[in-house]
Amino acid sequence: MALTDTRPESGTGSATAPAPALARSATLLGTGDHKVIGIVYIVASLVFGVAGWIVTALWGAHQLGDQGFLSDDAATTLFSGGRLGLVLLVMVPLMLGLATYVVPLQVGANTVAFPRAAAGALWTWLLSAGVFIIANGIDGGIGGGRTEAVDVCLLSIVGLVLAIVIATVCVATTAVALRTPGMTLDRVPLFTWATLTGGSIWLLTLPVLVANVVLIYVDHHYGRPSDYGVSASQWSQISWLVGQPQIYAFVIPGLGIISDVVATLTGARQANRGFLLLGIGSFAVLSVGAWAQPYFYPKVHDEAVWAAMSLLIVLPVLLLLAGWITTIRQGTPTAKSPLGLGLASGLLLLLAVVAGALYVFTPLRLRESDVYSAGVFALVVAAGLAAGAAGVMYWAPKMTGRVAADGIGKLNVLVFLGGGVLAGVPLLVLGFANRFDGLTDAADTLHGIAVAGDVVLAFGVLLTIVALVSTSRGASVADDAWGTGQTLEWACPSPPPAGNFGELAVVRSPEPLLDAAEPVEEA
Amino acid sequence: MAATHALPPAAPIQRPRVLVVGAAFASAAAVMVFIGMIAIYLAERADTLASGDTWLPKGAQISLHQPNTMLFTLAMSVVTMQWAVSAISNNDRVNSYLALGTTLVFGLAVIVMTTYLYGLMGLDITANTQSVLIYTITGAHLVMVVLAVAFVALMAFRALAGGFSARQHDGITAAAIFWYAMVAVYALIWITIYVTK
Repeated sequence: MALTDTRPESGTGSATAPAPALARSATLLGTGDHKVIGIVYIVASLVFGVAGWIVTALWGAHQLGDQGFLSDDAATTLFSGGRLGLVLLVMVPLMLGLATYVVPLQVGANTVAFPRAAAGALWTWLLSAGVFIIANGIDGGIGGGRTEAVDVCLLSIVGLVLAIVIATVCVATTAVALRTPGMTLDRVPLFTWATLTGGSIWLLTLPVLVANVVLIYVDHHYGRPSDYGVSASQWSQISWLVGQPQIYAFVIPGLGIISDVVATLTGARQANRGFLLLGIGSFAVLSVGAWAQPYFYPKVHDEAVWAAMSLLIVLPVLLLLAGWITTIRQGTPTAKSPLGLGLASGLLLLLAVVAGALYVFTPLRLRESDVYSAGVFALVVAAGLAAGAAGVMYWAPKMTGRVAADGIGKLNVLVFLGGGVLAGVPLLVLGFANRFDGLTDAADTLHGIAVAGDVVLAFGVLLTIVALVSTSRGASVADDAWGTGQTLEWACPSPPPAGNFGELAVVRSPEPLLDAAEPVEEA
Repeated sequence: MAATHALPPAAPIQRPRVLVVGAAFASAAAVMVFIGMIAIYLAERADTLASGDTWLPKGAQISLHQPNTMLFTLAMSVVTMQWAVSAISNNDRVNSYLALGTTLVFGLAVIVMTTYLYGLMGLDITANTQSVLIYTITGAHLVMVVLAVAFVALMAFRALAGGFSARQHDGITAAAIFWYAMVAVYALIWITIYVTK
């Protein structure tokens, strides 16, 4: 055969038989497609989110009155399981799911880095999540009373973190090494930048949780020769994960989601983009909290570094809010739900970091009970989920090829904002009970409002699922579903085919799609 | 007359350094597990010493001979690992096989020596806090050594099968990064657990 002949495998004849169609379940189980992996993460984390807020509400209801309706063991596992679940089963995987789907598209890659590892991480996470839930259900959660089940629960937490770390490595590597030509690191979309910075912080801090959990496991498994495995001290060793500043780290990708949503839905180039990159980066640095473990370092809250981090983290949030508002003022904002959800998330986060800054001041004596930090936790998680819901609504047309019901999204703006405030603010107010006697009398009322907020947030997550499902009835969309897309994910079909892109032009700015409409001169 | 067709374009080569970047991220995460554990170890030891007690319980003896031997072995393995990277970068396959093989032998020697040291230490894991900490940290490092040996062995087999060249040797570079991280962690363990006890 001459070299100039057409290669048989690339011919258009009937020589190549079509591959047999696989069952959908087999396709799902064996997939390395980042889009499928991302959607499974998103759907599973939203389902866990509904359950997580209901569990939190149940624990809150147990706090009402003098005698709760749960046994001590059940209350302990419900509390720790709810807190850990909202982080490791809901907020982090929701962000990871969006990142796994969107980051390869935003950087112009045809796949996520290490697709088989990403798929392995997904199934490891799902399996570990199932084991974690079952172990908690049979009195085996953190601080639980059933020895073997507690061991299994501890191993499931290691599995969850391992899966999250592997998935984060895949996404971060995609952002670093698979960018399309011309897309320098300062030109990456802000969601990709936030995922890279946030993911880096997760990679540096979540392994420390593994260290804590492994120590607890070894001690617990070998008869508790030290205090690590004792039920009463287990939660204290890992509670830093849900305290400030570490809890802020899990909302970092949300800052990128808001930034991308604001730019697209106002149709303007992001104003002061350098400041936004700096704001997200400095927020990430200031949220490193693995070193602040009160169990091993009881005076950590008196440390100047901890106080400085808690105070300074307000600044990047203000910087980001200023940047988003400037962009909105320069553009023509459209009243779409992702924009509302993004701004609601920003406001909740501002409330959280300001409340966290007050926590620093010793004369206020807010650290005398855990209730104030529980309020900060509720606000941060609500902010993270609102940002995640904004991301789901924003990228739903890309994921499904159809428009999500914007009315549900708009209702969700009120639900997340109201739910977040109701779930968090009463607990913040109760934190001042040491200064105002009347607040102690109102404790039940305030707890009751917070429980109502938890239920509202569960409803908000449920509405997000409904909005995602509603896309099946929505109208088909073009590649650029919003018509004002700026980044590369809006340059491929909706939903993207295998391989995502054909040939891509060299990127010359952070907004390559705007460049296509308004060609810029090469420097 | 035969029709003339252009050949289809060659498949684009994978963009470089994906595996290297991924290995760097993963190694950083692995190192952080040990930094967390060692920080707890140091905090506990400081508390114990501040209360006037000795850190190691009576009857426990941790000889320095085996830890020192392991340190020197791992130090040499760093040289052989870099030798492998350098050799494959110059398309010197024979030297890269030799270097990877030697590195694997060093790694296996460390595994054997660690288990031997466990037998000598006289620490009962069910006895006290010190035992829990020492076995957890050194045991976790043993796991890391096994993973590093498996990673290097995998890359060695791929090299033997004709993989890697001067132009594309990311696999061996990635294995080297993880190996160096493992050695760095051991250096931390050596100074905190074995020397300053």
